[in-house]
Amino acid sequence: MPAPLLEARALTKRFPGVTALSNVAFDLRAGEIHALCGENGAGKSTLIKLLAGIHPHGSYAGELHVDGRPAAFRSIRDAEAAGIAVITQEFALVDELSVAENIFLGRAPRRGVRVDWLEMNRRAAALLADFGLAINPETPVRELGIGQKQLVEVVRAMDKESRVLVLDEPTAALTEQEVAVLLDHLRRLRAQGTACIYISHKLDEVFAIADRITVLRDGASITTLATRDATVPLVIKHMVGREIADMFPKRWSALTPTRFPASHPAQRVGVNALHPLRVSHLSVAPEAGSPPFLRDISFELRPGEVLGFGGLMGAGRTELLMHLFGAWGHRTSGDVQLCARAHNSATPRESIARGLVLVTEDRKRHGLVPGQPIGFNLSLSSLRQFTRTGRLDLPAEHVRNQRLFDSLRIKAPDQHARVGGLSGGNQQKVVLGKALMTGPTVVLLDEPTRGIDVGAKLEVYELINRLTAEGKAVLLVSSELPELMGMSDRIIMLHEGGVGGEFARAEFSQEKLLAAAMGHARAA
Amino acid sequence: MNARLLKNLAMPIALAAIAAFFAVKEPAFLGPRNLTQLVVEFSITGTLALGMFLILLTGQIDLSVGSGVGLVGGIAAVLVFQQGWSAPAAMSAAFAVALVLWVLMGALIVRQRIPSFIITLGGLLIFKGLFWLVIQNSTVPVVRGDQENLYSRLTTYYLPAHFGLALAAAIAAVLAVLAWRSRAARAAHRLAVPPAGRAIAQWIATAAAIVGLAAVFNAFRGVPLSLLVLAGTAAAVYFLTQHTPFGRYLYAIGGNEEAAVLSGIAVNRVLVGAYVLMGVAVALTGFMTTAYSGASTTTVGDLMELDAIAACVIGGTALKGGRGTVWGVIFGALIMTALLNGMTLLAVSPEIKFIARGAVLTLAVWMDVKLGR
Repeated sequence: MPAPLLEARALTKRFPGVTALSNVAFDLRAGEIHALCGENGAGKSTLIKLLAGIHPHGSYAGELHVDGRPAAFRSIRDAEAAGIAVITQEFALVDELSVAENIFLGRAPRRGVRVDWLEMNRRAAALLADFGLAINPETPVRELGIGQKQLVEVVRAMDKESRVLVLDEPTAALTEQEVAVLLDHLRRLRAQGTACIYISHKLDEVFAIADRITVLRDGASITTLATRDATVPLVIKHMVGREIADMFPKRWSALTPTRFPASHPAQRVGVNALHPLRVSHLSVAPEAGSPPFLRDISFELRPGEVLGFGGLMGAGRTELLMHLFGAWGHRTSGDVQLCARAHNSATPRESIARGLVLVTEDRKRHGLVPGQPIGFNLSLSSLRQFTRTGRLDLPAEHVRNQRLFDSLRIKAPDQHARVGGLSGGNQQKVVLGKALMTGPTVVLLDEPTRGIDVGAKLEVYELINRLTAEGKAVLLVSSELPELMGMSDRIIMLHEGGVGGEFARAEFSQEKLLAAAMGHARAA
Repeated sequence: MNARLLKNLAMPIALAAIAAFFAVKEPAFLGPRNLTQLVVEFSITGTLALGMFLILLTGQIDLSVGSGVGLVGGIAAVLVFQQGWSAPAAMSAAFAVALVLWVLMGALIVRQRIPSFIITLGGLLIFKGLFWLVIQNSTVPVVRGDQENLYSRLTTYYLPAHFGLALAAAIAAVLAVLAWRSRAARAAHRLAVPPAGRAIAQWIATAAAIVGLAAVFNAFRGVPLSLLVLAGTAAAVYFLTQHTPFGRYLYAIGGNEEAAVLSGIAVNRVLVGAYVLMGVAVALTGFMTTAYSGASTTTVGDLMELDAIAACVIGGTALKGGRGTVWGVIFGALIMTALLNGMTLLAVSPEIKFIARGAVLTLAVWMDVKLGR
């Protein structure tokens, strides 16, 4: 049996505070399509980045072999020279250039010092025709649909004489018809001997096209199956088959009020208190005039409750929170009631004033002013509390900041340290602190523990419990099922912008949740 | 730590070096007469730079201020000289025009999402054209006949000696009260209070500097009125940036606009507010500059936008927003003014003046990058 085209042996990759890959084994044979499956954060993207030379040789442990010989990619260029082309979720096409220019980007045919436009367009036309694509090579890429862009990327990769094509979620944005076209092309390439690594959350596609399936979980390669021996439930089982680590602090659930001691603050709020947030038949489009992305979402949130929202990448979780906060989308129908008042077409400013805050997923981009001190960031949303006749009461602000700084146990010399220099976990505490200082009734948390170490995670969980104990309602979005199951009273799984399933605590199981997220609510 | 110390001392050192260089070449540079003139020029540049500072803090820019200075001064001059208005009425009318123009530009920038660079570049050209239309390409004096008025006295009035000293003493007293109240407030919140000895020493040094400065001015004609305009502007901008939510929001918007929106800041309103304040600074500067030239002519305000931006940048204000201090801007304006004034005193040719100003600006930014974090 010939050596595999590409082989990974005992790959281990660590980032500060987290092991992204541990001891991963993976091999790819010539002329096969090999699917990689795993939950968000299982290590798929990291593995690809190693194969593509984005994480260079030396930044990881273990070996890569190409054609049985050890390979040491120091850059993307090295990987490309070995015939490995990666097509990522974010398009690497330049919108303003033509299709032909994109295909030959950086290696345009030349005549002397000038670009040979005729030759370039002729060759591009031939390549496109080969793929059966009716695209004029002189069309600017921005005029193409997403599906066509994806195919142009494939054409570009193939013209670089790639032997290994890596596709990361290639169909996330495609219509069914475009998916069919793409899969046809991949089958054709396979017949010509090209090998392909195919990453997709859509198990239907995986089963339709892959020869073998490798499942990753928590950075480890769990198993490699021949597709003909596998079933959807089996793959899902391997994807989630892990014990829920005993790291979620015990909490009182507002949904079982009898368990509250008489002194518990939730009693004071009263279990029959108004629903702080009630969403009915909400549909939201990215902008006015486009078709809705979030479709017919209904739920209500009770005081002291944590309602979890799960779903795959792109299922609409972040968009839902951003919309409720007033920072995203155009509502096409539906109604949102915040503390029994209509909460429509609000701005973030109005949302905060009415007691609804959002802790964003991308804290560097959306949450913090990195060049400013911790205190500046903590009080940024709450300056009104310290304003007397137009003037800031700086000592009062300082004292309030200090209290929060201490209670959140932010690790920094003092509250004057710049936020940009803090670790991820401490930055997250600052973002949380900023939200809490506004005195909210409803707290929307989007991936509050992403990229922070275990200790900081635990502190975030304790903070969530403190919030619910005070009778605040929490909407928690997380990609990590164990976290979602450990912290939520109820979970709603989103699937492609709609509700894929709702589960009470007694019904929680990773299989059921993941199946609902994949639109297979009945499969598990 | 050393780099930070060097950075904090860089501006005083640069200023001292410039002053020493010119004083050696021409001892009159540090004489009361020249210092007084320098301070009037400094007041003009500094007032405009303080307005620009508010705009730069948010990460925006305003290229139209030079033309605006000419236009506002020109309108007031025409109303006084040709229409026979009283100076306060003419200045109020011109002031209102400035506010309208800057509200308009601010609204265009935030509502239509046109980059401020483009809007204010358009403003630069349009205001210049309007300016020349208003004064009809001629020279319009700020006084009718030889009756002095508020407008003309803006840069030629000096406080009587005893009044200047009394004012200096009063300012020192106010500073003492403010410092004492701040200490009391901190103590009331059980915050650390710096040792009283150091605070008193600091106050004595500041008070001595203020009173001493007044005495130096008194050696010539007295404290110039224009310096009071600058001092008032600086105090207002300092209060605004350090003691109000509005000031915090300026820094937040410049530091991360997306985060500012999601933190519940009414970003558009704050930005328009910054442009309105820029309009106020333009009007004040327009009156002072025109008065300083004695008349409104087509060249009044030329390139002043660049001096204002340069003063801010030399003073450590980041062009991409979110960083800068009032003290830095004051020092930056002083450095720019001292340089120009000194070169004029030495009768340096205009060609070399341009080159020297450009070189200092470039050097300052380079040092800022080198010594920066």
